[in-house]
Amino acid sequence: MSHATELAAAAGSTDPRVGLRAVRALRRLLERLEVVQVDNARRQGWSWQEIADALEVSRQAVHKKHAGRPAVESSREA
Amino acid sequence: MFERFTDRARTAVRRARDEARAEGQRPVGTEHLLLAVLADGDGLAVRVLRDAGVTADDLRERIRRHAETGDSGLGEADAAALREIGIDLAAIVARIEESFGPDALREAAPAPRRRWGRRRPAGGPFSARAKKVLELSLREAIRLRHRHIGTEHILLGLLREGRGLAALTLTEAGVDLADVRHRVELALRASA
Repeated sequence: MSHATELAAAAGSTDPRVGLRAVRALRRLLERLEVVQVDNARRQGWSWQEIADALEVSRQAVHKKHAGRPAVESSREA
Repeated sequence: MFERFTDRARTAVRRARDEARAEGQRPVGTEHLLLAVLADGDGLAVRVLRDAGVTADDLRERIRRHAETGDSGLGEADAAALREIGIDLAAIVARIEESFGPDALREAAPAPRRRWGRRRPAGGPFSARAKKVLELSLREAIRLRHRHIGTEHILLGLLREGRGLAALTLTEAGVDLADVRHRVELALRASA
């Protein structure tokens, strides 16, 4: 990290706007990563329960959030 | 509130709605109001901005870049925010695409959250900031003792609001908001 970016990071770290904006961006990224990974798990034949366990959430929560998308081919159930 | 709007200002508000609609189901933001004001090429607002050293095309391009999402499906502002906490979004995109193919992250759009009994964002098609801008344009007109609200008052409202994407874009383009406000008022006085 260059001196300038170090300074910028140090200066930004106490500004709530910078920090909260980063949290928002991270949440957006998280949502997309979750879609990618859940779809992949389904393609590999994982059950909703298995996915829920891996994410440490309830099966209902995972199902409600992800089952509505166009179904991915599941190798186990197909 | 719209009864005092001139035909051109009404057209601008309608155009702002169209701009927002063209981007999908989005409320009208301050950037859409700015785009609409810029579309009125002969308007005082565009002239003043040009005198202040910024072209409509440049601003349009900047707004487009803000709205655009990259390979990650996240905008440039998101990437910058993540960089700020040490996360290299490009590296993440590269890893994901390596495993799951090109555009894997971009196409992984999460479903919009369903909120029962609340199908549209509260307050209708305008964002809170855009609504504030319209209120401020009315207030600016009253302050200047104008009986009508034109596109130049909408620009004054955008400048006065000062925190939306429109104001951010103007600032990034090197515009001093207070300077432009001053220029608009001078031009209005000259034409009065």
